Amino acid sequence: MLIAAPAIAVIVGVFHQALPALGWQLFTKRTNSTGIQNAILGSLLFLLGVLIVAGTIGVGAGIYLAEFASGRTERALRFFSEVLAGMPSIVIGYIGYVTLVVEFHWSYSLLAAVMALSVLVLPYIVKTTEVALRNVPSALGEAAAGLGLPRSATVRQVLLPPALPGIVSGLVVALAISTGELAPLLFTAGFSDNDPTLHLFHHQVPYLTNVVFTDISIPGARAHATAAAAGVVTLGILLVLIAIGRILASRARRNTARMSL
Amino acid sequence: MSEMPAPTMTEPTVDPSVLAATPVDAPGTPRPVDAVFTVEQLAFFYGANQALRDVSLSIGRHEITALIGPSGCGKTTFIRCLNRLNDLIPGTRVEGRIDFNGSSLYAPGVRAIDIRRRIGMVFQKPNPFPKSIYDNVAIAPKVNGIRANMDELVEECLTRAALWDEVKGKLRDSAFSLSGGQQQRLCIARAIAIRPEVILMDEPCSALDPVATIRIEELMVELKSDYTIVVVTHNMQQAARVSDRTAFFTVDVSEGGRTGMMVEVGSTEQMFTAPSDQRTDDYITGRFG
Repeated sequence: MLIAAPAIAVIVGVFHQALPALGWQLFTKRTNSTGIQNAILGSLLFLLGVLIVAGTIGVGAGIYLAEFASGRTERALRFFSEVLAGMPSIVIGYIGYVTLVVEFHWSYSLLAAVMALSVLVLPYIVKTTEVALRNVPSALGEAAAGLGLPRSATVRQVLLPPALPGIVSGLVVALAISTGELAPLLFTAGFSDNDPTLHLFHHQVPYLTNVVFTDISIPGARAHATAAAAGVVTLGILLVLIAIGRILASRARRNTARMSL
Repeated sequence: MSEMPAPTMTEPTVDPSVLAATPVDAPGTPRPVDAVFTVEQLAFFYGANQALRDVSLSIGRHEITALIGPSGCGKTTFIRCLNRLNDLIPGTRVEGRIDFNGSSLYAPGVRAIDIRRRIGMVFQKPNPFPKSIYDNVAIAPKVNGIRANMDELVEECLTRAALWDEVKGKLRDSAFSLSGGQQQRLCIARAIAIRPEVILMDEPCSALDPVATIRIEELMVELKSDYTIVVVTHNMQQAARVSDRTAFFTVDVSEGGRTGMMVEVGSTEQMFTAPSDQRTDDYITGRFG
């Protein structure tokens, strides 16, 4: 009840405030008019970028931690992963600004934003990948070892396939987390009333949470309604991602249950 | 081109004096003439805990050797020394000597994965991979680069494991669609697909019903013309039915710990009719264990 009530209150409240702005123009007009098309595209672009950057690095590190690392490397990797997990998102944004935007001369850009978001969700992906692999019954690893399969082939062909639903569901939830983030982006993405481009550097990118943040502080009912509408779309993306994550997670659980005969 | 990758061990040179030096066979037992394994004074440690001591025996080629004894007597630990599967557990240590075809199994430079390709294993619970029936058999030959006609190889192995007739129409189905007994025979087919010399079986029937158990036992007897088989079993009737030689293990609790040890080894007939050690007799006649 204590959990359900605020969740429902937020969804209903945001939806109610967004009502005047809801309509197809949201998806067909840009933020300089009555829509948020450019912000939606930018947010989706971030998701794709995070999937590529954090997905590759995070899943790779998770596999390494679960199956290959030992001793000092394992402890070091775990330590840094925990440090990152505890890092406030605003600090990640600020560090991204100082290094990527200023020092590397990337300016406000797609890549700087994607990197900042990726750093934020990386520990989560590492953890879920590691857990998914550890949940694969050890009998399978023993069977593979008993056949003289090398470690790499064991991981690739025997352990990864059953762990895949769990890994992907972790990825999806990580994307969901990054969808609602604002702090790391304030310092790295910039904003633009134009549609985002695929340029990695020097081109500012519009995104949904920025619309919420900015329009709420502009006086006037229309701006407030647009802010709420951007919130509704963000929530929509979030709910879709969470639903996909849950479906995959339940598939992962069924997989594991079936294998532990 | 269906050759195995070059093994790192040298070919067998069985030194007769090594066999003659094994002291624990019951008197009057014919020793295996051609030993695949010669084990001398093997001891095994999990960290500081000694799990096994005083194991000395020879395992004959194309024979079935049964390892019997009460729970916790180190049978499973011992059989896992024979293919170096215990290497996977950190902090474990082996003392003594195991010769495989005349060369030390634990010598430096001998790679465990090469050993395990020559010494297959079937586990207590059937543990097929979450793949199709076909892929379960084909995976190890594929990874090891065996270039045989894979369809023929899969059929041959499934036939050999007495499973072909039951699965030939559904090779692409999941291995989990099979019954427990069928899964265990699939695991046997998977093990023989890389043409090992030895098959180790760790209580292969303990999770199966009596009918499935009999099928596996029949299969073991058929397979011994091509393979050397070592089987751990809790079931003394099973040892009596299938094995040529039997080794009896027990637990020594005298020094406060629980250390498994081998008591005696001999031909199965002699072990079940006239064991030379009182502890074996007590176990076999059901006075303990």
